[in-house]
Amino acid sequence: MSTAGASASETSYQPVFTGETMAALETLFERYPTKQACMLPALWMVQEARGWISERAMAEVAEVIGVTPAYVKGVVTFYTMYHTHPVGRNVIQVCTTTPCSLCGAEAVLRTILQETGCEELGRTSTDGRFTVQEVECLGACGFATPILVNDDFIESVTPERVAGLLEGYK
Amino acid sequence: MSDALVTVTIDGIEVQVPRGTPLIEAAKQAGILVPHYCYHPSLPAPAVCRMCLVEVEKAPKLLPACVTTVTDGQVVHVNSDAALKARESVLEFLLINHPLDCPICDQAGECELQDYVFQEGRAATRYADYAKRFNPVEDFGPDVLYIPNRCILCTRCVRFMEAVAEDPVLNVSERGDRSYIGIFPDAVLDHEWAGNVVDLCPVGSLVSKDFLHKARAWDLDRTASICPGCSQGCNMTIDTRDNVVVRLRPRPNMDVNRHFMCDTGRQDYRWMNRGDRIEAPLIRAGDKLQAVDWASALDRLADTLRGADGKAVILASARASTESLGMTHRLLDGFELTAAVRVPTGHEAPLASIPNLALREERTPNVAGAELTGYTRAWDEALDQAVSAQVVVVLDEELAPDEFDRVRTAGTVVVLGTVDHPAYQAADIVLPIATMAEEHGSYVNRDGRAQVYRQAKASPGMARPAWWVAAEAAGRLAEGRAVPATAGDAIVMLGQSIPALAGLTYQSMGFTGRPVASAAASGVES
Ligand code: SF4
Ligand code: SF4
Ligand code: FES
Ligand code: FES
Repeated sequence: MSTAGASASETSYQPVFTGETMAALETLFERYPTKQACMLPALWMVQEARGWISERAMAEVAEVIGVTPAYVKGVVTFYTMYHTHPVGRNVIQVCTTTPCSLCGAEAVLRTILQETGCEELGRTSTDGRFTVQEVECLGACGFATPILVNDDFIESVTPERVAGLLEGYK
Repeated sequence: MSDALVTVTIDGIEVQVPRGTPLIEAAKQAGILVPHYCYHPSLPAPAVCRMCLVEVEKAPKLLPACVTTVTDGQVVHVNSDAALKARESVLEFLLINHPLDCPICDQAGECELQDYVFQEGRAATRYADYAKRFNPVEDFGPDVLYIPNRCILCTRCVRFMEAVAEDPVLNVSERGDRSYIGIFPDAVLDHEWAGNVVDLCPVGSLVSKDFLHKARAWDLDRTASICPGCSQGCNMTIDTRDNVVVRLRPRPNMDVNRHFMCDTGRQDYRWMNRGDRIEAPLIRAGDKLQAVDWASALDRLADTLRGADGKAVILASARASTESLGMTHRLLDGFELTAAVRVPTGHEAPLASIPNLALREERTPNVAGAELTGYTRAWDEALDQAVSAQVVVVLDEELAPDEFDRVRTAGTVVVLGTVDHPAYQAADIVLPIATMAEEHGSYVNRDGRAQVYRQAKASPGMARPAWWVAAEAAGRLAEGRAVPATAGDAIVMLGQSIPALAGLTYQSMGFTGRPVASAAASGVES
């Protein structure tokens, strides 16, 4: 099935690194000792442009950077913040590591899953609005439970606050 | 010299090794095998598995023996309590997700996980209550299956493809306990040397489709041999089960093939198991060939040769041993002799990062040996000569029907062959010989290295090594001519008359071969 998906996206694939994006990447190259060292930002640019990183996009990055697609895939799958599947318009990451867990992170997570209609970790709500993920320590253990909605960092979230917080994200 | 050497004490044994040697290699010299997974002498060492932890006096913590280099006066304890405890923990972690499906795993019996757990692991798991990680089997390439559940993530396969084959299609995907070896979706593990990842894999995670479920490791007989696939002469092991060859694997030889062999060589073994063999000596009786015993056949051959003179031609295979080629040449040295080998060719496929290692264009193992014993590559000319020759000997080479038709016009046609062939009905004497898997013999590779291969299976019926046939016949021709009793005798005898082979013995060739006397000079000229 993955092959069917790949070939479908292959026919319609539009490269990310053209025009301005390519120029931006070229500028970034100058800040790194090798092109390969610039892989993480390049992948990040793909994710910003497309919302996620498809296998075809990995191949494109490989070509631009001068490594093999297998190498890029290894890097992409290593880091949890790169999405290898399409995600909702808003990605919510909830810390459930030990300190937060002790302070009730599970209840927060459960509420978020319900309120967004995602039901399950990693699944996208049917309206395409949200995807919810667990994340390891967000470095705000004193303000349990922190969540990250897209680039917004929100501390001291409790189940009661969830509904109100989500309002702001369409 | 003592400058470059340092002295280390490993588990109480003192060894001297060159500065810069990794501890794990120094320990080998002390006769101690440090358990290890990611380390392999032919791959870069990343020190990712932590299986090789040893205690080094004065070091604050345990050190990985694979990347720690020796220093003078170092005292190392491979089997101290602390080291054993650490390695036991490594094994315990590896087994958390390992399926323990040894009863259906091809690697069982030659698995480094089994071995080390048996040697120094825990007797029972403490993780019985947890579900194991599960990933489906993946088809990596023409001969390689990946069974991720068994993978211990040593990354040997990744490093082989990356650093040795320089075709990096494999990666480590995901991280932590979710990691597995990935291949990019459009990529196929079809590099010409890809089969080596199966040997490199210390567990049963990468397995050969060809060998899948064919045999249990402990049922195999293993014989040191030489790949007959091309003029590179990779050292290999022939694995047989009940006299059937089931697998070829590389045998380390740092001067020829390091730890590797190509897929073409590896997979070309089915001919060794052919059943359609000539099983008895056949001599012409009227318009038929008649099966006889060896004595009668050899007498007939000697009589025929005695009664003939003038031109003789040998049409040989460069897959025949130096012994067979040399003895057959010697048998006919009273004639005006033309001797040639046929050298089939194919494409060349190098293993990128290893100097002087490639699947060679010349697809026979003993062209150099043939040249040293008096053969040329001028096959077509020899065939032309054969038409009008008194005696033609076909040695281990299958002639095409039209070639055989031309040769038939010769006085006497003698075939020393393995596989039966309808055309042989027209020959005068047909003698069954052993294949290279069925005899001891030696080849000289393209770099002039003479290497011994050993008998891996019994030959069918009455088949005998070709050198024996030729030498016995020669003994009948000339009263008092010494007849070699073994292939080892045969090479020594040839060395007495062929300067390049002088001094060559099976003992001096050992398991890794040695250059022939005039290696460089005699090599690949035609
Ligand atoms: S497949 Fe084998 S060689 Fe490759 S990482 Fe896993 S255990 Fe190591
Ligand atoms: S390179 Fe030649 S000798 Fe080596 S394994 Fe391949 S065919 Fe055999
Ligand atoms: S454990 Fe949640 S922020 Fe550190
Ligand atoms: S063998 Fe030394 S860390 Fe793997």
